[in-house]
Amino acid sequence: MLTGRHFAILTLCAGFGLCCQTVGAEKAAKATPSAVPAIPPITAEQRQGALFLDALSVPSPGEVFAALNKACRPNWATLVTPATAPVTTDRTQLALAVGVLAANGYIAVEAQDGQQVKNVGREMMAMAKALGVSQSLLGRGHSLVEFADNNAWDALADELEATENEVKATMVEQKDKDLVALTSSAAWLRGLEVASGVVLANENLQGAAVLHQPRLARHLASRLEGLPARMIRGELVPAVTRTLSSTAAILDQASQNLGGQGKPYGKPPQITRENLQKIHDDASVIVKMILTSASAPTPSPTPQAGTGTATAGGTNPASAGQPLPAATPAASPTTSPSKP
Amino acid sequence: MNHHSFRLALFSLCCWFATPVPTLRAAPGDAAAPSSSATPSPSPAPAAASPNPASAIPTESRRLALETAGAFTNDGFRIRDGEWSFSLEKGAPRFLQVTLFAGNRYWFVAASPAANVRLRVTVYDAEGKVVKGEQWQDPEGRGRSAAGVAPEQSGQYFVGVEVMEAPVGAAPDTCLVVAYK
Repeated sequence: MLTGRHFAILTLCAGFGLCCQTVGAEKAAKATPSAVPAIPPITAEQRQGALFLDALSVPSPGEVFAALNKACRPNWATLVTPATAPVTTDRTQLALAVGVLAANGYIAVEAQDGQQVKNVGREMMAMAKALGVSQSLLGRGHSLVEFADNNAWDALADELEATENEVKATMVEQKDKDLVALTSSAAWLRGLEVASGVVLANENLQGAAVLHQPRLARHLASRLEGLPARMIRGELVPAVTRTLSSTAAILDQASQNLGGQGKPYGKPPQITRENLQKIHDDASVIVKMILTSASAPTPSPTPQAGTGTATAGGTNPASAGQPLPAATPAASPTTSPSKP
Repeated sequence: MNHHSFRLALFSLCCWFATPVPTLRAAPGDAAAPSSSATPSPSPAPAAASPNPASAIPTESRRLALETAGAFTNDGFRIRDGEWSFSLEKGAPRFLQVTLFAGNRYWFVAASPAANVRLRVTVYDAEGKVVKGEQWQDPEGRGRSAAGVAPEQSGQYFVGVEVMEAPVGAAPDTCLVVAYK
């Protein structure tokens, strides 16, 4: 015969069993992520032999802007610029413009400006068409418009990166892989221009740590230096290369002041406002040059400031005696003016 | 309480004990964000049980890597539109240069469809030292692994992928993808 006491014992047993199972499950859940075991450092040879992949080694503007958002919360709406692509037949300039436009697209996404994203997408398609790499991009263009109409900002950012990568992949397929380095460099420089502008607007240079990428700048510069002679005979690519080199030099200087990697996060690099201003000005000049149509006068870079080690951006391209190749109207890409 | 009630209670108790404990596998994202709710682990990969692992192609490893990294998107991570596909041999780790940003968090996910393979992903700083972070291994022993870091300083880093266990002579196809937030 079962009494109330029996039932109470049964209930207690059930409760105890439940506790044991729950604790066990929690332990299982916590045990999965483990601390990093002792792993030896990698050698200098292994570091030198490490692969550099454009798609992963060069940060996307979205990555840069995500870090900036945490550091200083920029007002992205004020940073959106009209999506104006250059009218030119110079393939190097077209490849550079694709990079700048991609970065502009990210800014429009951060600002949640759907119309501007669509404008950027349209201009990127026009650039891709002019480069002859637009076959597989039509679907991307439609996706950009659809996502912009639906305010799908995360999807838009993903689609922008996918579009840029698809342009690069098609360049490689069409034996134009050298253009990829130009697109990556231009996207990075446009991101640098925006990021440095945001940091400069801050009294304490908050977010300056985000800009600290001297090795990447040097790597991109060395890749451009290795381009075939036919691609660097104009003035634009050498100017981009010089800007990357000078940026690397300035950031290296800040790195030495900081004492190399390993300092606690939150301690800003010892980059002066003057040097940061120079990085920003040089990047701005290059971006303007990239987006300037071949027939238009090229903007003059700012005079050199400060460091003594920096050399880029200090020469006026107009005085270099090598004007950009004039566009042939019949062959120019049909870049419609941006609609606000 | 009568005898019938007792049998009913006993039966319920037996049923309860017989019920398997739900496996609360930590999703990779949980390791970096213990405060967040547990997200389900990526669904089982059919290719992991492929009868012919030798026929696996890199696109399958990519699919697996993206599937694994998909668990992070629940935690607000964004997967980069690029991947690194390669063949790995035991004792010959591969390295990739990356630029990481202070303030961001990253997960590097490697996957291989080959059977009986265990991978390890490690992040190193510019001087080659291991960056402290989280490591995730497929709890079911399949060829999936991930490393999560939150760099304290922006700059150059290296991601290493190596085979910890694999059948003799195997060079499993592997793919690495990156997620950040």
